[in-house]
Amino acid sequence: MASQQSASNHSNRRHKHEGRQKHIVAFIFSIVLSLIAFAAVASVAEVNATFIIILLLVMAVLQVIIQMAYWMHMKDKGHLLPVVFMLGGAFVALTCIVMALYWVWW
Amino acid sequence: MAHTAHTVKRYTGIMDWLTTVDHKKIGILYLLAGGLFFGIGGIEAILIRIQLIKPLNDLVSEQSFNELITMHGTTMIFLGVMPIIFALMNAIVPLQIGARDVAFPFLNSLGFWTFLFGGLLLNLSWIVGDVPDAGWTSYVPLANTEYSPHHGVDFYTIGLQISGLGTLLGGINFLVTIINMRAPGMTYMRMPMFTWASFITSALILFAFPAITVGLILLMFDRLFSGNFFNVALGGNPVLWQHIFWIFGHPEVYILILPAFGIISDVLSTFARKRLFGYSSMVFATILIGFLGFMVWAHHMFTVGLGPVANALFSIATMLIAVPTGIKIFNWIFTLWGGSIKFTAANLYAIGFIPTFVMGGVTGVMLASAPANFQFHDTYFVVAHFHYVIVGGLVLGLFSGLHFWWPKMFGRTLYEGLGKATFWMFFIGFQLTFFVQHFLGLIGMPRRVATYLPNQGFDTMNMISTVGAIMMGIGTLMFLWNIFITSRQPKNASADPWEDGRTLEWTIPSPPPEYNFKQTPLVRGYDAWWKEKMDGNKEMTPAEPLASIHMPSPTILPFFMSVGLFIAGFGFMYGRDPFDNAILGFLFNNYIVSIIGLGITFGCMFLRSVNDDPGYHIEVEELEDKGGRG
Repeated sequence: MASQQSASNHSNRRHKHEGRQKHIVAFIFSIVLSLIAFAAVASVAEVNATFIIILLLVMAVLQVIIQMAYWMHMKDKGHLLPVVFMLGGAFVALTCIVMALYWVWW
Repeated sequence: MAHTAHTVKRYTGIMDWLTTVDHKKIGILYLLAGGLFFGIGGIEAILIRIQLIKPLNDLVSEQSFNELITMHGTTMIFLGVMPIIFALMNAIVPLQIGARDVAFPFLNSLGFWTFLFGGLLLNLSWIVGDVPDAGWTSYVPLANTEYSPHHGVDFYTIGLQISGLGTLLGGINFLVTIINMRAPGMTYMRMPMFTWASFITSALILFAFPAITVGLILLMFDRLFSGNFFNVALGGNPVLWQHIFWIFGHPEVYILILPAFGIISDVLSTFARKRLFGYSSMVFATILIGFLGFMVWAHHMFTVGLGPVANALFSIATMLIAVPTGIKIFNWIFTLWGGSIKFTAANLYAIGFIPTFVMGGVTGVMLASAPANFQFHDTYFVVAHFHYVIVGGLVLGLFSGLHFWWPKMFGRTLYEGLGKATFWMFFIGFQLTFFVQHFLGLIGMPRRVATYLPNQGFDTMNMISTVGAIMMGIGTLMFLWNIFITSRQPKNASADPWEDGRTLEWTIPSPPPEYNFKQTPLVRGYDAWWKEKMDGNKEMTPAEPLASIHMPSPTILPFFMSVGLFIAGFGFMYGRDPFDNAILGFLFNNYIVSIIGLGITFGCMFLRSVNDDPGYHIEVEELEDKGGRG
């Protein structure tokens, strides 16, 4: 038990070390995306509003991809169960949204 | 890991129970608390039945009757049977997968205490005098402040919110435990059925409880902070509550029944002394039931007016659930087929479960037909249906599981003769109570109405129903008597008291030591222990050398975190009430009570975060002293 634990501690440490570089890049990328979004909203007087909406949606999709891939570990191997559970959760959430939009407000 | 010389404070007596993080002790706590609430809900049920024993009875007032039916449903579902399910899950699942504890012992303890304090808060409504009276479904607008001006529904929203937190924590804990803590060789397709059922149930809890949490928050904001989520005059929509409630509520009934399916599967294969028939189809049927359970909620709302297309789709989806359920029923029958069956008390409950549950399933399919549902809606037919699945299904399953695993939990076997007598008393009482209610419903007796007029054909059947309910009450008392006389006997149950145990929990002493397995076992197939016995082995092959075992430290923090939420709940509930006493008025109306309560909870969370507790080790010498298998 004790030796097993120290082995797993070791592999965890190595895992973190390998991932750090990529995570910092992903983090900076997320912040840049957020800054672009803020700047776009701030410049609403000069720029076409439709363009800003489309830009914001693209930013949002990119943010979600980064969140899922890096912070939720979707890019790593051996994460089948978390993927299954996230899809399950997404399915239930989607059901609720469809219910609310279709039956309650329309 | 270096063995830091760390002495851990060991508590005894009541402090041991308040601070324990041992899953077996938490299981016993769940059983005690769940049993207490089950008793309260049972007394409420008997009062309802005595009120209905004859036409125009006036044992209780109409208001009290509404309170009784509301609290009976709420207490039984959320505070009675779910905690007893958690009791068995806590006591047995880690043992069945060869684990030393659950994944998060601290959260396990927190889950129990939040459930208990949520339940106490809800039931304190009886003492305060403002009892929830809007039905266990608490539909708006009946449940809003206009029609329920007193604090009853606030007890419902806040009490269930706090206890729901505990359920959610428990669900997540068991998911992580079953995914990560299985012994070497225990693949998914070798897990015992009760573990599989607990796994799927936990997943359903994870997805369904957020819905009720959101619903309760919306209702609480409408009531306490003048929200308008359900206020039509200001753009709200009362049907939203029904949708949210049933998006939670329908998975909830599968949360309740799946563990019973798991218990029945394990009990039947043990006492038929046969491998469970169609194990893999059982697993996939369980998963399919869990999945379909999220797509049928609107069958509770056929009469709301969703339109013929929606009603037709939800009808078909609902009837589909009969397919995996039918697979299970046939698998159980084929498990018994040709087996060398031992009719123990546990097995009697399991065998009684099968036809009773089938009847509940058949009326379920009848109710799934939308046109027929318009006739059945809000009659005793519905009451008969859901009591057949919940009492005839789940409660019989729980009694079966308790008889089966009692020696493992407490080291003492319940009396078989008394157990069998209890079964017959409870089973016959159950059938008398609810069978006639089908016909009461069909001839038009509405549910949730405090009394009825004579000479409508209701009189005799209501009398029979009440007699049955009293027999169920006597059955429950007989079970308690069995526990009482058993507890006076010495703890002499062997590791495998039924002698036909198939799974890992029967390889370790009864009750197990705090670390469960001295050495983690190596699992070589489905029904791991049965396989070793058939190969002529006296014990499991260990998967690791004897080494010191790391244990989590006991802690009082979960208890105080829950106390904090309990105090904060009262603070919010009475935040806007006028008080005669100036000091009380000051404390409540400025939300100081709420702030103190939340301060206690967050303070404990802070302490937990900054205080790094490494736990402690049980050394090899101590393990060898204790001896025993495992």
